[in-house]
Amino acid sequence: MENKTAQQKSQADLLVEAQQRKQNQFRMGAGATWGVLLLVLIFLFSGKTVLGFETIQLDTEFMRENIVFIGSGLGQTLLISILSISLAICLALLAALGRLSTFPPVFALSTFYVSLIRGTPLYLQIFFFFLALPQLGIILSGLMAGVLALGLNYGAYMSETFRAALSSVGKGQREAATALGMTPLQTMKRIILPQALRFAIPPMGNDFISMTKDSALVAATGFVHEVLWRATKVGRAQFNSLEALLMAAIFYWLMTLVLTFFQTRLEARLAKGDR
Amino acid sequence: MAPIVRVSSLDKYFGRLHVLKNISLDVQPREVVCLIGRSGSGKSTLLRCINFLEEPSNGSIQVDGVTVESHGRGKEHRQLIHDVRLKTGMVFQEFNLFPHMSVLENVIEGPVTVKGMNRAEAISLAEENLDSVGMLFKKDEYPMRLSGGQKQRVAIARALTMQPRVMLFDEPTSALDPELIGEVLNVMKKVAKDGMTMLVVTHEMGFAREVADRVLVLGEGEIIEDAKPSALFSKPKDPRTKALIDRYRTGGR
Repeated sequence: MENKTAQQKSQADLLVEAQQRKQNQFRMGAGATWGVLLLVLIFLFSGKTVLGFETIQLDTEFMRENIVFIGSGLGQTLLISILSISLAICLALLAALGRLSTFPPVFALSTFYVSLIRGTPLYLQIFFFFLALPQLGIILSGLMAGVLALGLNYGAYMSETFRAALSSVGKGQREAATALGMTPLQTMKRIILPQALRFAIPPMGNDFISMTKDSALVAATGFVHEVLWRATKVGRAQFNSLEALLMAAIFYWLMTLVLTFFQTRLEARLAKGDR
Repeated sequence: MAPIVRVSSLDKYFGRLHVLKNISLDVQPREVVCLIGRSGSGKSTLLRCINFLEEPSNGSIQVDGVTVESHGRGKEHRQLIHDVRLKTGMVFQEFNLFPHMSVLENVIEGPVTVKGMNRAEAISLAEENLDSVGMLFKKDEYPMRLSGGQKQRVAIARALTMQPRVMLFDEPTSALDPELIGEVLNVMKKVAKDGMTMLVVTHEMGFAREVADRVLVLGEGEIIEDAKPSALFSKPKDPRTKALIDRYRTGGR
């Protein structure tokens, strides 16, 4: 008996091992290809001539001089993103709950908000808060206008994610909580939301990453000194836009890589109970 | 003896469908009552009306001295429903364990969140009940990793840990693989033996015959027979009861 289970286990282990080996091979292959693609990209901008093929020559002196100036916009970019995503999450949750409400005015308020915001360009919304509101005596800083516009905009889109996530929790869960004597609020907080959030985290992560890049639109107000604003400023002034924008692109890319890493970790942590 | 559950003139409509027709029913303390009937006979709905998972259309429910009328409104009414729910534990066909919580967290959730019991006290009570359903060894596991029978035993422990006066079972073994039914029925027998008042909607005729003090047969929203299992299974009065019993006999259970 003892022997038999030991044998079965080792067979299961063998299968797992084989699976892991396959996975590792795949990962190594994919990683190597990434490396090659990166090298090709770097080579394209290296300025070297190989076999008569001329690559792009960058003004490295300009890049060295301005990397700190452009990079110090990262703080502003992150600040806008974090403030906006916080606002967006609150609005999205309210809108999603409103969308699921059986009370007509609440439902209407939610759908009206989502429709209005999704029906107009983000770029317009940023300018509306920054340029149009002062006409009504409401003056917002570039940062405030940007955060409000981004928050409202992403809130509208994310509300659909939240709604789907909330609906994905079966009605048996609500009934079990109700039968235990939980109030609707307790049921929402303790039972429905934690399960819904798990569904919502991957798309929310996507939205956050997407938002860090859309935060560049706030540069258009001319008063928020984030990465893109700095890149265009020095690029135009010294006719080095190629270098300046390349550096900005790399900063954005690195930022999304870091965020993606954290998103993956968070997803793994939230997946407990699914194992 | 005063009944612990009293259902008086209960009606339930789903739209124009009249699913429960003027049902009245008394259950004595420590009594085990099985509700049987074909699907659509209203037996689950009757059970769900007792703890107001379904709002009755007419009539009233009384559990352990708390009376709730249908058509009630407002804060007082909600408080009465809450009181009734605290006095009733419910076990569902689909278990409905909370998948994001471990077994132990599932079981202490009610006492801690609803009753405000302190955590340590809830844990010791929960462990006691998990032990009595034979699931203490899985207390840190998540529901995903349990078999159906194990999930249902945890669900029973979860309901018991609220220390209800009455337990409601809504087809507790219908979603289980046949070889897992026995372990759940055994736990239910134990709960009955410990003196719990139980209302059980079931298709398990063997369980009804062995454990029930009374068997109610529902048909088209009415109680068509109410008898001791020995009498009911040997000499059914209503032809519909006879047909029902025969069907299970030929079905093997």
